[in-house]
Amino acid sequence: MSNLEEKIDEAKKLSMQIVKDTEDDRLMTLSVGPQHPGSGHFRFVIKLDGDYIVNVDPDPGYVHRGHEKMCEYRNYFQNLPQLERPALHDSSNILYSYCLAVEDLVGIHVPRRGQFIRAIASELDRLVYTQYWLAIYGIFLGHSTMFMWPAGDRELIIDLFERFSGHRVTHCFSIPGGVRNDFPYNFKEKCLTQVNYFEKRLKEYEHIFYNNPLFRQRTEGVGILPKEDAIKLGVTGSVLRASGVPYDIRKVEPYDIYDEIDFKVQHMKTCDSFARSYIPYLDMVESCHIIRQLLDKMPESGDVRVKLQGNMKGPPGESFKRVESGRGALGYHIVSDGASRPYRVKISTPSFRNLIALSYLLVGSKLGDMPSIYWSLNYWPIEADR
Amino acid sequence: MGSITPDFRFGNLVGSIIQLVLVILAIVTVLILPMIFFALFFVPLPVVNGQVLTPYLFFSMVVDPSRTLPIVKFLMHTALFKAAIFPGFLFASLIAAATIFIERKLLAKMQLRVGPLYAGKVEGIFQLLADGLKLISKEIIVPSGADKPIFWLAPVMFVSTSAAVVSLIPVAYGWVVADLDVGLIAAFALLGFFPLIALLYSWASNSKYPFLGGLRALHQMIAFEIPFFLSALPVVILSGSLNLTEIARSQNIFWNIFVMPINAFVFYISSLAELERIPFDLPEAESEIVAGWLTETSGMIFGLIQLGSYLKLYALSALFVILFLGGWYGPQIFPHELIPGASSSNISLLKIIALDGLYNAVTVNSIFWFTIKTFGIILLMLITRGVNPRIRIDILLHTGWYKLIVLTFINLFVVLTLIYGGILGPGGIILPK
Amino acid sequence: MDNNIELKNEKISLSVSNEILKSITDKFSNRIKIIYDIHNRSKIMVKPESLVEIAIFLRDNFGFDHVESASGTDYPKEEKIEINYHLGTYSNSDLLPYVLVLSTKVDREDPKSNSLINILPSVELFERETYEMLGVYFIGHPRNERFLLPEDWADIPPLRKDFRSKGR
Repeated sequence: MSNLEEKIDEAKKLSMQIVKDTEDDRLMTLSVGPQHPGSGHFRFVIKLDGDYIVNVDPDPGYVHRGHEKMCEYRNYFQNLPQLERPALHDSSNILYSYCLAVEDLVGIHVPRRGQFIRAIASELDRLVYTQYWLAIYGIFLGHSTMFMWPAGDRELIIDLFERFSGHRVTHCFSIPGGVRNDFPYNFKEKCLTQVNYFEKRLKEYEHIFYNNPLFRQRTEGVGILPKEDAIKLGVTGSVLRASGVPYDIRKVEPYDIYDEIDFKVQHMKTCDSFARSYIPYLDMVESCHIIRQLLDKMPESGDVRVKLQGNMKGPPGESFKRVESGRGALGYHIVSDGASRPYRVKISTPSFRNLIALSYLLVGSKLGDMPSIYWSLNYWPIEADR
Repeated sequence: MGSITPDFRFGNLVGSIIQLVLVILAIVTVLILPMIFFALFFVPLPVVNGQVLTPYLFFSMVVDPSRTLPIVKFLMHTALFKAAIFPGFLFASLIAAATIFIERKLLAKMQLRVGPLYAGKVEGIFQLLADGLKLISKEIIVPSGADKPIFWLAPVMFVSTSAAVVSLIPVAYGWVVADLDVGLIAAFALLGFFPLIALLYSWASNSKYPFLGGLRALHQMIAFEIPFFLSALPVVILSGSLNLTEIARSQNIFWNIFVMPINAFVFYISSLAELERIPFDLPEAESEIVAGWLTETSGMIFGLIQLGSYLKLYALSALFVILFLGGWYGPQIFPHELIPGASSSNISLLKIIALDGLYNAVTVNSIFWFTIKTFGIILLMLITRGVNPRIRIDILLHTGWYKLIVLTFINLFVVLTLIYGGILGPGGIILPK
Repeated sequence: MDNNIELKNEKISLSVSNEILKSITDKFSNRIKIIYDIHNRSKIMVKPESLVEIAIFLRDNFGFDHVESASGTDYPKEEKIEINYHLGTYSNSDLLPYVLVLSTKVDREDPKSNSLINILPSVELFERETYEMLGVYFIGHPRNERFLLPEDWADIPPLRKDFRSKGR
């Protein structure tokens, strides 16, 4: 097949190019690879000139499993467990977006109590994800206490999840049509207790981490992403809000019952790495307020689910729906041709959209700034690779 | 801890104890006794009761109380005992081992966890032994293309240099392995050898990450040596001598830290940087350069480097205590005699129990206070580890070369003013004894 | 497929989106076709030759400065590959929730399309992924290379319909 020969030629050309680059004596090529405590399941090749980074080439794809292709072989309900795997600890949000897209396609309306429960699960997952992110941030900067505290406090929220869904991490709880089952009978009191304790712990994080002069020295003024460039590069989530654009999908295009909830969109104008590290923390504080409001306004009883047929046929059409997940705007584009399996599912993940900022920010910075810039971009390799 | 223990059988317990005793007896008879005899032939033995003590006479005297204690006292003052056991290698290693254990437990309590718990009955106290045995049994992997002589020698050099610094530290008056007249300068000269070892080892590892880590170690340690020396300068001016024992003895009225607190602070920060402890552990920054210049260590090489690191920690804390915290001085809390009236009685058993001739109240008191103060400083270094993240290399170099040197000069001027004003120092109003 | 969903105008639709679609149809009347226009979402289909011009018009006049998502869909029955760009805006505060889908269809045998990278820099990685997953070559994109797939991938682009997963 001529296509195959073309591909082989292209691969040979690429490998020759890598060999040629390393012959430049002054630059050192460093492969911050998947087997590295500083990068996760992701590789990027850096060219160093002394201590300064000259060129960055991200190389994702180590955890690519073809979720989009797999969606075309399973019907709408069978897709749920495999679609929540790219964002393991943020699984409510990645399924929330899928459920909204499918419901938009089919044209059904979820009962009110179900909407509230979905929103509570989504906010709790945002807390879980941000705790995990903070823990790894601590490790990247060498702060072992900041690793242990969020990892320990995260267990409280995961305990809540176990109460109502039975799973700790990947719950498969939000489904097209609502949620799987209702909350247990004393969930509201337990949830409020945990959230209150959690807010007290959040204040301590501020003392030990955000007000720590060493942390501030390492992140303030580092990795500046100006507002115009942030808009042009199309970044999303806390990266965008740290550059002064107050864009949060829960406010801009409220889905479900978010138009009844009152909360602030946290944004900062300093555009540096410290702002990108601080905004998820502020978002966590906001999430605690949101959870309290949701628990107050939730109707006492009611249906939580519209029962759809297991292998329902989706009517022909398209839909595109977005949700504000822990990292940013997560969008699903579903194309259906009338069969019981979707024709095409495209997942637009915030990590993939933020990846373009990595090469932009790292070029010209020091090697010592690499962990703080890389992790402040909220990049989760599994979500980007799908 | 998830394994099911087999059923307990008393016969098996007795059998294993007997087996252990027999093995120990066999090893003692075949190996240890000949070694003791061999050593005793070369150790100079005292003349007791008109007889030159030979090894055979030595063993027969153990059972005679009136002759045991003088022998033990004599042996305790030989150079070998001082270098190997107290206050030398074994004492320092025990303190290093205790430091490692305390560090793990302290950090665990700060971080809402428990630390080592299962090795040993009481809160995991044998964890260190277990780790040591594990490290000895691991394979040492030498990277391809590595420079083999230096790769094997550098850890040994590391431990021996640390042990050399330990040998300069006086624990009590007269209890020091090497009593040099230029003790302080010798300590600094030995500390200047460590960046060289780090660089040699990282070069010999033949890999990129150790190379980056070695360069960082070099920059860091060299940058902080100058504030290190400068902060000890007023101490030398005040006490008029470079001998560490004399420096400690000159503080019997007041401690140096009251006159030069800034210098003590600078010394503390510089010693954190020399030890590569958090927040200055750039050379082993885990998330950026895997493990820095220690990337290729495995097995016992890693164990040796850990031992050397913690020996250095003890040595620098002890140096801090001697220079600024008054050495071994403290209120006398040990009684003059262990059992009052024992030395003048004639019952030899009482004399042995009261350690007559061996027990010197002043010395034991000195050792006690010295150890307490050293542990206090070590605790301070450990707590800093739990609270701070890692610093970046350019901020570190800026701190070391600019800010700390300026701070030491401030305190130097204060001390010089006090000396020329006639208040302190030799010829002043407040004189050391 | 698109002959089933032409112009699904619902009662709730943004007056602004009507204005956008009206001005687009005024300017480029014969080169575009509106597929649907519902609450906060519209889709227009353009010919591949006029893709760049219309994208420049949308960016300059209405402030569509980034893409939310960009991908392709394979239609083997019509022998075409459809490329979609979901355009969004951060700077135009009237249009913040609105997403305009700009799509074009290219030939399946030799798929080539003009790259939008000089107009909207955020499409860089999306187009690269579409190249390797569907085989569409983007003219003007600096790196039409393998991105997520393994280095030794020697099969047809996986998101095409004639590529079957193992065992299916």
